[in-house]
Amino acid sequence: MSTKITAHKEEAHYIYEAPVRLWHWVNAFAIVALCITGYLIGKPFPSVQGEASDHYIMGYVRWIHFASAYILMVGFAGRVYWAFVGNKHARQIFLPPIHKLGFWQGVVHELLWYAFIVPEPKKYEGHNPLAALIMYFVFLWGMVFMILTGLALYGEGTGMDSWQFDYFSSWIIPLFGQSQDVHTWHRLVMWILICFAITHIYAALREDIMSRQSLIGTMISGWRTFKDSRKDD
Amino acid sequence: MSTVTTPNGFSLDTSGQRVVIDPVTRIEGHMRCEVNIDSDNIIRNAVSTGTMWRGLEVILKGRDPRDAWAFTQRICGVCTGTHALTSVRAVEDALKIEIPDNANSIRNIMQLSLQIHDHLVHFYHLHALDWVNPVNALKADPKATSELQMKVSPSHAKSSPGYFRDVQTRIRKFVESGQLGPFKNGYWTNPAYLLPPEADLMAVTHYLEALDFQKEIMTVRTIFGGKDTHPNWLVGGVPCAINMDGAGAPINMERLNYVRSICERTKKFIKDVYIPDLIAIGGFYKHWLYGGGISNQSVLSYGDIPDRANDYSPANLMMPRGAIINGKLEEVHEVDLRDPNEIQEFVPHSWYSYPDEAKGLHPWDGLTEPNFELGANFKGTKTNIKELDESAKYSWIKAPRWKGHAMEVGPLARYIIGYSQGHEVITEQVNGLLKTLDVPVDALFSTLGRTAARALESEWCADMQLYFLDKLINNIKNGDTATANTQSFDPSTWPSEVKGVGFTEAPRGALGHWIRIKDTKIENYQCIVPTTWNGSPRDNQGNIGAFEAALLNTKVERAEEPVEILRNLHSFDPCLACSTH
Amino acid sequence: MHETFYEVMRRQGITRRSFLKYCSLAAAALGLGPSFAPKIAHAMETKPRIPVLWLHGLECTCCSESFIRSAHPLAKDVILSMISLDYDDTIMAAAGDQAEAIIQETIEKYDGNFILAVEGNPPLNEDGMYCIINGKPFVEQLKHTAEHAKAIISWGSCASWGCVQAARPNPTRATPVHKVPGLANKPIIKVPGCPPISEVMTAVITYILTFEKLPALDSQGRPKMFYSQRIHDKCYRRPHFDAGQFVEEFDDEGARKGYCLYKVGCKGPTTYNACASTRWNGGLSFPIQAGHPCIGCSEDGFWDKGSFYERLSNVHGFGIEADADEIGGTAAAVVGGAAAIHAAASTVKRIAQKGDDA
Ligand code: HEM
Ligand code: HEM
Ligand code: NFV
Ligand code: SF4
Ligand code: SF4
Ligand code: F3S
Ligand SMILES: [Mg+2]
Repeated sequence: MSTKITAHKEEAHYIYEAPVRLWHWVNAFAIVALCITGYLIGKPFPSVQGEASDHYIMGYVRWIHFASAYILMVGFAGRVYWAFVGNKHARQIFLPPIHKLGFWQGVVHELLWYAFIVPEPKKYEGHNPLAALIMYFVFLWGMVFMILTGLALYGEGTGMDSWQFDYFSSWIIPLFGQSQDVHTWHRLVMWILICFAITHIYAALREDIMSRQSLIGTMISGWRTFKDSRKDD
Repeated sequence: MSTVTTPNGFSLDTSGQRVVIDPVTRIEGHMRCEVNIDSDNIIRNAVSTGTMWRGLEVILKGRDPRDAWAFTQRICGVCTGTHALTSVRAVEDALKIEIPDNANSIRNIMQLSLQIHDHLVHFYHLHALDWVNPVNALKADPKATSELQMKVSPSHAKSSPGYFRDVQTRIRKFVESGQLGPFKNGYWTNPAYLLPPEADLMAVTHYLEALDFQKEIMTVRTIFGGKDTHPNWLVGGVPCAINMDGAGAPINMERLNYVRSICERTKKFIKDVYIPDLIAIGGFYKHWLYGGGISNQSVLSYGDIPDRANDYSPANLMMPRGAIINGKLEEVHEVDLRDPNEIQEFVPHSWYSYPDEAKGLHPWDGLTEPNFELGANFKGTKTNIKELDESAKYSWIKAPRWKGHAMEVGPLARYIIGYSQGHEVITEQVNGLLKTLDVPVDALFSTLGRTAARALESEWCADMQLYFLDKLINNIKNGDTATANTQSFDPSTWPSEVKGVGFTEAPRGALGHWIRIKDTKIENYQCIVPTTWNGSPRDNQGNIGAFEAALLNTKVERAEEPVEILRNLHSFDPCLACSTH
Repeated sequence: MHETFYEVMRRQGITRRSFLKYCSLAAAALGLGPSFAPKIAHAMETKPRIPVLWLHGLECTCCSESFIRSAHPLAKDVILSMISLDYDDTIMAAAGDQAEAIIQETIEKYDGNFILAVEGNPPLNEDGMYCIINGKPFVEQLKHTAEHAKAIISWGSCASWGCVQAARPNPTRATPVHKVPGLANKPIIKVPGCPPISEVMTAVITYILTFEKLPALDSQGRPKMFYSQRIHDKCYRRPHFDAGQFVEEFDDEGARKGYCLYKVGCKGPTTYNACASTRWNGGLSFPIQAGHPCIGCSEDGFWDKGSFYERLSNVHGFGIEADADEIGGTAAAVVGGAAAIHAAASTVKRIAQKGDDA
């Protein structure tokens, strides 16, 4: 077994354009804020004493949630827009090539790499196939789910005359049964996103160290660099 | 041979004309009754059937025991609350939770208000039309009615001739409109109605007054439980916190004053309207003494209304407790709800199955497995039953027995037991009524006795409400404002396997809930409800229950207008949703 | 000849003055301004009494009990003066065949012109024989009357959603009215609640009679005037919610100060009903005011969401019953643990490789 890191010369590739990078970090922070405040909405802080008018704890928690939610939604809309106008990598998480055999072979290879069965990962300009798959099925649809259910819940507060209620609550609430069910699923899928984030951050750190290419740096600078010049077989 | 004698001493003869009443109306829930009437128009065989089942005992399995009160409360919205109270008591018994004194007083006030409300609505809106003929009221002279009113109840304000004339006009126009509403197709030409027009008019007037007033009685439950019907309860106490010196608590001085005013008005209504009507109407029917059934033989009461909190021993229960069997009125037995050999339920004639149907099951080991099948001799089809076969399964009600005896429960049972025990108030009330009506003590064991006991009991309950309100206020005065004990509210503090039993005296009689809790969830939950006792079908020995017994030997004027059957059945205030749950 | 409300009321000795007062109360109960009172008065002076058949399926009769608690209008006046309650087995004088005959008579006389009020629901298992009326399954009576009715009112959570008998495992297959297969395609007004508020029940009837049309319904068939807001939106304890002041357990300091009941399980934030605005029994109180959390009694399937005393509801399936945090927290712990183990394994491997390389 040898994965020798040898000196090499290879061009760096510009992968993540600035809007994608910006979005990534804004989105990441919004999600962290949403998870923390969301958690607290279901399980609030211990009670405070004194006049109700002197406090606004739940109010702020919910306000941060909604503010982050709007940032997240605007960001998401921008990211979708960028998928149309940006480079090909900007489309990757929206359109994993699941109809191509090679893609699935890549997924298997990546799984084997994580299972310590194959000695070496492949090099990818964009996401590796496993990452792309998870980005698509877990993250992307998770986001869509959270936005839809979030708006449905939000519409309950803004009331039956609001656009949020008309476009979202009016059909999403009965679809799930009742409001309580929407809350439950909104919360459950938060945990799925948390699982995604744990895996994602761990993989990013690990691959940054163990794979043959740059990772975290890429999401900061946009440039992908490789640690060797061998070709994948 | 079409005549058999049941072990509890009734002879059943199925040779006469079979008459079917389905639905039996002016009751809660769905019920069917079939009788055989001989050539003298006497009922010689009676079959009573519960015709609904929802499966609450099945639904409760696996649930959080703290929620059980809400489920069981939905067993019935007429006796709403009594199941909830029974349920929280069962859970508290299982988990050994003691409730604060204030919670005991508040629960008692709520329970007493239910008794009164239920009895009053039963008397005027479910039972009255068996005795009172609204059409006949049109013939009344309002002036004479006013005189009658002033005679039977001098302190009731609404008694002027003009008042009765207005009501009469209202009824006349109603009748003349041709849209008779709830009075449509009544048996208004039946000679079984005996009241003179003036008494009919007075009674119909009070039908309407009581309809207005009943909604006031229950508002004490709105104060303590947040809404009526189906107020809220809590394992460990009551949900309504008390705070006399700060803002925000559910119970403060204004709320207590409200409760007091309602309790006082309730007491007055009973005294000025309910009791006088009972005596007036009863006076005209006092020779109609059918319907005793098993009331002079076997009666049962668990007792209720604990004076001090957490003490459910007979001495501390202000409503009488005990069992009388074999007609030995002087001997009141103690009842043990935990003894596997005392209370058991049988199903050979019920639409359920047991592994061995020759045996009964104590509710802690009770089973509820539906099994709808019709006997070989039923007439009709499965979905269009013409006549049931009572030799097979024929009811959704199980057959509970106490030491093998079919028992009557309810206000009359409580009053008979209390009378036998020499309960001071009960004895005085009963003797007073017997004297006023000039009837012997045996008259108690009848349809009218049941109806009378209910009225007397309401009177007692109204006094007790005020007693507990004073007690509550005194306790608060002494600095105790606790309403809930939450020490064991958290399921993680519970032992892994426990069982408990809770009981109340519901308006219709003895009510018990038996619970088994395993790993914080309900493992088994069984209810035996007053109408399960009274409306029970036959058991493994062939003993008939209270409804069927009460119908026997009653003479009906017109077989096709079964008002006498309704009278006897209504005197129990049947609740079918309760009975089958 | 049909009579109008007003005629009937006048005959009953009600003065014009108190009739008008009644009309303005009715307007207020409907959430309408005082300018509507004359309109109601006019409607009542000119309209006949409409027949109502009130059927009972599997239920607890609490909806009926609630109905008779109505303070404005009084149940007495609804029954005697507004509608013609031709069939209601809880209060009708007739029994057995005479009672059942009324249904047929009403259908013949008022085909397409009577209101069918349904309390409870039909069970569909065992050919419907978990609820028998006149020897036949209740569902037959229901379908037959629905066929000829003008509109259906589904009283309470039983008729609207299924309620307690439809709670898991719904042994009788109790089915809410709108989901009964083969039920005539008639307009259905759901008035959910276990039971619904008395004055809401009578207001729905009064609205139909007064304005000669069905009230505006939301996407789920509930009158918007009473069901378009959650308890939480109008709850008087809401300032404590926003402040973060909660009852942590019953009878604590917070309970005695009227703090928000969210942490002891209040379902007000997910429950559409008028309790917080109309309140109960003539506006006297409502569950939260008496210190108990809302249990969500007007919502579909409120029985099956886990304990009434927990804020988070339970999820059922795959033999588990747990709330979102129990499921999600466990999943996150497993994922986090797996990542940690994987990280450790990766480190070991790396060190081993370095050793190889040396
Ligand atoms: C990744 C994104 C999100 C996460 C992780 C998240 C998480 C949560 C969580 C855990 C809750 C508490 C649920 C409960 O226990 O009842 C919650 C509530 C809520 N979320 Fe989100 N959420 C996200 C996105 C959104 C979005 C996009 C919106 C849209 C406006 C939104 C609106 C709401 C609303 C209205 C509530 C209910 C607040 C309340 O009941 O007071 N959320 N969220
Ligand atoms: C310390 C925190 C984080 C680090 C270090 C990090 C790092 C990275 C890196 C290195 C990539 C590029 C992966 C590649 O080149 O294949 C990436 C992409 C991505 N990350 Fe993160 N990430 C973090 C937090 C998050 C969070 C919290 C989320 C959302 C739950 C998130 C969602 C994504 C998504 C959706 C992409 C794909 C971007 C695209 O292709 O458009 N990241 N992240
Ligand atoms: N039987 C009965 Fe009940 C009563 N009283 C219950 O416990 O009515 Ni619905
Ligand atoms: S909805 Fe609730 S209150 Fe109404 S009948 Fe059903 S169980 Fe009873
Ligand atoms: S008590 Fe319930 S409805 Fe009221 S504010 Fe709190 S959570 Fe909302
Ligand atoms: S429990 Fe029901 S009565 Fe109102 S406050 Fe909640 S909807
Ligand atoms: Mg039972």
